Amino acid sequence: MANPFSINGGACVAMVGKDCVAIACDLRLGLQALTVSNNFPKVFQYGDSVFLGLTGLATDVSTVADLFRYKVNMYRLREERHIAPRTFANLVSTSLYERRFGSYFVSPVVAGLEPKTGAPFICGFDSIGCIDFAKDFIVSGTATEQLYGMCESLWEPNLGPDELFETISQALLSAVDRDALSGWGAHVYIIEKDKVTKRLLKGRQD
Amino acid sequence: MPGFDFSNYNRNAALHARGVPLPKATSTGTTIVGCIYDGGVVIAADTRATSGPIVADKNCEKLHYIAPNIWCAGAGTAADTEFTTNLISSNLELHALSTGRKPRVVTCMTMLKQHLFRYQGYIGAYLVVAGVDPTGTHLFTVHAHGSTDKLPYVTMGSGSLAAMSVFETQWKPSLTQDEAVKLCADAIEAGIWNDLGSGSNVDVAIITAEKTTLRRNYIKPNERTQKLKSYVFPKGTTAVLNEKIIHKEDLSKFVSVHELTEESGDVMEVDA
Amino acid sequence: MADRYSFSLTTFSPSGKLVQIEYALNAVNQGVTALGIKATNGIVLATEKKSSSPLADASSLSKISLVTPNIGMVYSGMGPDYRVLVDRARKVSHTGYKRIYNEYPPTRILVQDVARVMQEATQSGGVRPYGVSLLIAGWDEGILPEEELEKAAEQQKQAGQGDEEGEGGKKLGGKTGGILKGGPMLYQVDPSGSYFPWKATAIGKSATTAKTFLEKRYTEGLELEDAVHIALLTLKETIEGEMNGDTIEIGIVGPPADHLLGVEGVEGAVGPRFRKLTPQEIEDYLTNL
Repeated sequence: MANPFSINGGACVAMVGKDCVAIACDLRLGLQALTVSNNFPKVFQYGDSVFLGLTGLATDVSTVADLFRYKVNMYRLREERHIAPRTFANLVSTSLYERRFGSYFVSPVVAGLEPKTGAPFICGFDSIGCIDFAKDFIVSGTATEQLYGMCESLWEPNLGPDELFETISQALLSAVDRDALSGWGAHVYIIEKDKVTKRLLKGRQD
Repeated sequence: MPGFDFSNYNRNAALHARGVPLPKATSTGTTIVGCIYDGGVVIAADTRATSGPIVADKNCEKLHYIAPNIWCAGAGTAADTEFTTNLISSNLELHALSTGRKPRVVTCMTMLKQHLFRYQGYIGAYLVVAGVDPTGTHLFTVHAHGSTDKLPYVTMGSGSLAAMSVFETQWKPSLTQDEAVKLCADAIEAGIWNDLGSGSNVDVAIITAEKTTLRRNYIKPNERTQKLKSYVFPKGTTAVLNEKIIHKEDLSKFVSVHELTEESGDVMEVDA
Repeated sequence: MADRYSFSLTTFSPSGKLVQIEYALNAVNQGVTALGIKATNGIVLATEKKSSSPLADASSLSKISLVTPNIGMVYSGMGPDYRVLVDRARKVSHTGYKRIYNEYPPTRILVQDVARVMQEATQSGGVRPYGVSLLIAGWDEGILPEEELEKAAEQQKQAGQGDEEGEGGKKLGGKTGGILKGGPMLYQVDPSGSYFPWKATAIGKSATTAKTFLEKRYTEGLELEDAVHIALLTLKETIEGEMNGDTIEIGIVGPPADHLLGVEGVEGAVGPRFRKLTPQEIEDYLTNL
């Protein structure tokens, strides 16, 4: 049987810019070679600047997204404040590791701005919660290898919000065009100090 | 941590029985070493994390804090080394508070081996434990199944053979601090160059009775040269179908905004 | 059977009281006085270290405890109950928070956790309430953007100037605390499990006297050094024996003590804010009193 990480397909990428971060995902939901939906976003918002991207087995993507919605809401009620991205990343990590011996088939990506300093924050995880703190970019999903190639060549430090949007969009679109299991359009979020811009990109529909 | 959640275990085991491969965990292919010298102990590690043949993290941290005077270098499954050392660090901190004493390295090593033995090797943490406490300077290795060693110089991980070759040719009794740091860094470099599972930079921690000094990226022999030309795209390169800007002020403090699709409309469906 | 409601603490008396809790408060009110004062840049906790006999080894006695690097507490009432609560507080700060978020709990969260432990002892079978009141002092980092904090500080400065003229800026005077803003926090927790935030307060035998004294001495915009001074003056009012480094205990929440960290070169590592003053430091404060 197929690898659960590549049954439904999907790709996600996050990048650091100058005083901003970006996170983007494709929109495909498939069942092996059959495309079921072209509107299955994989980026979820958990605060004014805390975003979680989830790729992997779609059933687990939904379950995990809802689980963190619950956990973050409980945190906000208990602490009377929004969760900070770094705190959220640690919550994701411990929640995944709790299921060390029966994991969710997901590869999460967190992106956001630190509330105190406004500094960009991104990180990625394996399915059992090991955090990959990166200073440049994080990729996940079935187009991981293509995304690594694109990001390693396109990304550079101190990109402004507009430049970052072009870079992450081109990286994602180019990567998913060479992955049969992902694509079908994309969502791109550019997160800045006082606003979040969400854009819908057109992608190949084949 | 008496509480792993096994509720997905049966599902995953059933899938595995039908030929589904196990999830690829990030592993720290890794070269880690430790070496005692006159007056303290040095541990060092490379900074590459791998997922299969892919380099997952080019500059990860493999030197883990246990207590100010006890540090751990970790190889094996990255999540396991991180969480095992965190757990023991937490328990040791509580123990130190309630006894009012500095934690001891043997205590740490014993807690680690008992924890790992209980999980019969399924927690894939391979550790070098080093520290200075009131009883002296100590250096141990702990394997995932719970066995331990006590030696003046140790190596672990996929680059352990490369690193050990350096120790076996260059180690001598009663080293100075600088000699020990150099020896450990050279051993890690042997791993970085000759083992594919190890790479990038050298991290070093020097533990003495007075303090611990962490030298993150002590050697950076693999710096990427800057790109000569920029690949920045002009604004408007990417075609956008739809754009939505959410301003922070628009979001009230305790309300999360959901986008409703048309199907989910305002009429609730009720069974007749 | 006038006191038939005093045995099972889970039974209300017809007047709506749980008398065991009131008895627990009586135990607190017989305890040695402890006090806490919040300043703009820290908090001081102080108490008398009373030994029943000159033969007792006072150096091994400790009434002020570190819970997390930024939170400390002191008690009035029964020592053994206090030690249980200190252990529980330290443990819950790890299991219920640090092992999940990889950071220590904010003061209010820890206070709620400790208060929950104390409340459960008023509603469970076969147990008695804890015979202590606690003062818990801590420093929270806060999450408001630095710019906004600076703006708020600016406003306060202006409000402070207005203060001299009249009532004007007083409402803005509550400049410390708030989980968003961060800063020093001082709470009292009672045997019933109720908790209160304070600017300054006292618990124990001479709590009323001490609180009257604090009301007179406390001013807005107090600095930590002044707070230590006032704490010692307040203790002096209520103390029975001699005051010196061995008979007084003081804990402070102040600037991060990086020298206590024991590590160098760790990115983002900050020293503990809570620490106990040494007998020598206390002596120094006393000579300057």
